[in-house]
Amino acid sequence: MDVAIRFSDLTLGYDRHPAVHHLDGEVERGALLAVCGPNGAGKSTLLKGIAGTLAPLAGSIALPRLKFRDIAYLPQATGIDKSFPIDVFDVVAMGLWKRCGLFGGISRSETAKIRAAITAVGLEGFEARPVATLSGGQLQRMLFARLLVQDAAVILLDEPFTAIDSKTVADLISVVSAWHYDHRTVLVVLHDLDLVREHFPQTLLLAREVIAKGKTGAVLTPENLSKARSMIEAFDRQAQACARAA
Amino acid sequence: MQLHDLLIAPFADFAFMRRALAGAIALAIAGPPLGLFLILRRMALTGDAMAHAILPGAALGYLAAGLSLGPMTIGGLAAGVIVAAGSGVVARTTVLREDASLAAFYLISLALGVTIVSLRGSNIDLLHVLFGSVLALDDATLILLAAIASVTLVALAALYRPLVIETVDASFLASVSKSGGPVQIIFLALVVLNLVGGFQALGTLLAVGMMMLPAASAMLITADMTAMIGIAAAQGMLAGYAGLVISFHAGLPSGPLIILMAGLLYLLALVFGPAGGLLRRFKPGQHLEG
Amino acid sequence: MAHRGYVITYIIIALSLARGLPAHAQTPAKLPVVATFSILADFALNVGGDRINVATLVGPDGDTHVYQPKPDDAKELGAAQLIVVNGLGLEGWIDRLIRASGAKAPVIVATKGINPQQMNEEGRIGLDPHAWQSIANAKVYVVNIRDGLIAADPAGEAAYRANADNYLGKLDALEADVKRDIAKIPPERRQIITTHDAFGYFGTAYGFRFIAPEGISTETEASARDVAKIIRQIKAQNIPAVFLENVTDPRLVRRIAAESGARVGGTLYSDALSPSDGPASTYIDMMRNNVRELAAALAK
Repeated sequence: MDVAIRFSDLTLGYDRHPAVHHLDGEVERGALLAVCGPNGAGKSTLLKGIAGTLAPLAGSIALPRLKFRDIAYLPQATGIDKSFPIDVFDVVAMGLWKRCGLFGGISRSETAKIRAAITAVGLEGFEARPVATLSGGQLQRMLFARLLVQDAAVILLDEPFTAIDSKTVADLISVVSAWHYDHRTVLVVLHDLDLVREHFPQTLLLAREVIAKGKTGAVLTPENLSKARSMIEAFDRQAQACARAA
Repeated sequence: MQLHDLLIAPFADFAFMRRALAGAIALAIAGPPLGLFLILRRMALTGDAMAHAILPGAALGYLAAGLSLGPMTIGGLAAGVIVAAGSGVVARTTVLREDASLAAFYLISLALGVTIVSLRGSNIDLLHVLFGSVLALDDATLILLAAIASVTLVALAALYRPLVIETVDASFLASVSKSGGPVQIIFLALVVLNLVGGFQALGTLLAVGMMMLPAASAMLITADMTAMIGIAAAQGMLAGYAGLVISFHAGLPSGPLIILMAGLLYLLALVFGPAGGLLRRFKPGQHLEG
Repeated sequence: MAHRGYVITYIIIALSLARGLPAHAQTPAKLPVVATFSILADFALNVGGDRINVATLVGPDGDTHVYQPKPDDAKELGAAQLIVVNGLGLEGWIDRLIRASGAKAPVIVATKGINPQQMNEEGRIGLDPHAWQSIANAKVYVVNIRDGLIAADPAGEAAYRANADNYLGKLDALEADVKRDIAKIPPERRQIITTHDAFGYFGTAYGFRFIAPEGISTETEASARDVAKIIRQIKAQNIPAVFLENVTDPRLVRRIAAESGARVGGTLYSDALSPSDGPASTYIDMMRNNVRELAAALAK
């Protein structure tokens, strides 16, 4: 198996309390993996760890043959300042940062790529629109277009469809599927289990520790789901140091 | 010719007027773009804060070399940069955003400055000595202003892209690049440079006013970032020219008058501005087909 | 210069004694005198010698026009046996202070008998109080103070007359020097611009024009029109030097000088003596300093 991401006894958390506890496993290249679990299960934390914005408390995450630049990450609540006088085209063009950096100009072919990405997410004609005028769904489409332009090998999405209208969700799911056919590795944190069952071949069920990982049908069983639900959300204030050192 | 006497003669006849105009133009070119970013980053009151933050540096310069402008300016610049950089670092690494972290730093700086000044036992208003007047620009000061303007423009051009991205979507920039922190600090350093140089040459009112008023006004006139920068600079230059001419003929203080002119342009934009003026808001006109 | 050390010692002793002792504990031998400001104190000491203690209300580098009295001042006035004031409206605050302190001592107006000049202070015509700027007037000051001391302390009359004659002789020598030094300056160059309107008597006595620029003051910010006016004025009247004291921005002075071709002058002392380590710690030193600075700025 061609491994894209390897977790080795990974513990991630905040203030020494683990949100992800002793996670072992691999994600193969080209996988389309849904990450599910109850609130506080560590799903966002796991994505942050893979993206590199959160350092592990113990263990490690390996991304063989991948560089920092090869990961595109869409966090749950983007801190985009909608009031800034910038238009859709320029936001999507940000995705070219890895290739252009500070000074690189945007070539004709790259301009075409940006336009194609904007069209692919259904925002054709919106190129010159100020970001301040976009609805929630349109904003999300724009951010997906930026991800398209980033052209990354690994794509991490944290609850990308929360409070988004169903047409947008449908359109964006097809973008995700296109990524999958492109052999990109995609991890998506989702709450909508129906969506997961319909579009995601693999699932990781997380409740701080791995409940199950594998084919979606085998993972999202009633017993697994109830096991996950029984996980305690709050951090244990009386917790001692974890004895299960690697 | 009447018009010539009114509008051109003051500058043709007097060197100090020409220099004042040159100084005002230099400020108008470099200040407003910085002011725009300050406004967009919710740091519009930074200018006033920095005026107080530079005190301990100026005080140390005064302790070391007496009432001499060179050491006091360098000291002030150093203090300003430390405060700006420090608040930038705190803003990136803690829950405090830039406005709160800057407030904390400049207050500490100000208190430190007052204490240092009182050690010498003197009553001198140090800052009063440090701040100049637009009518008193000598060669060295003009060169200083021109150099600061050039450095600012070059730096802004180079850092434009990451600065915009950092302002719009800082977490995205952090996910694709490590330049977010340095960019923020360099931006603040540019602001300090322009303010301290501006204070010394032209006084606090003029330096901060030229930075903020044309920028605020431009935001009401257009929604295109590039056009904003151009319009802001143009307004600054117009205010400088008009303020000097009126000060010459009416006998009113020049610095405040230049800022009043900039303020007048702002008020006009407030009412009539196409991109958010009050008139547009209350009388938007017939709506479009689609 | 021994004379200078003598005076300095007395000023220091007089001030420290006046500050430290409550009224009733003063040594009966020395006459307690209060002078309103440093120049009067200098005259008083030169006449009174070691028979008197002088307390000064407005010390060196002080501004007598806008002085704010302190509680100590009222105490000193109450303990004094002679009070010396300038008069001619210089100390607008002194009458009230004397009443408030309940002082019973006689008040000597040093300018009694002098022909006052007029001055134009910000558009209002009034009496110019800076009479001491003419040495001839200074001699009148000295005589008035001598007579006041004799009246308050008859036992010391001989000493007071001797001291006064001595000092008047010094003032005569000073005046001769001043006139000689000024004669070296060509008549057409004997004009300067100065902000402080304190040299009227000097100008009349020694043939100088002191021109006050309009609009440039310590409080207000300059307008372009005012700056242009000064520059035009300097150029039109060929004024060789500019002495702008206490202006907020020395750079503005330099700019005006550069553009008009005038020289920037040094420090002129008008209303107060300098501290003892400065160039004008006595009246005689003050006049010498001023003439020296004027000559330096106006030399060809």
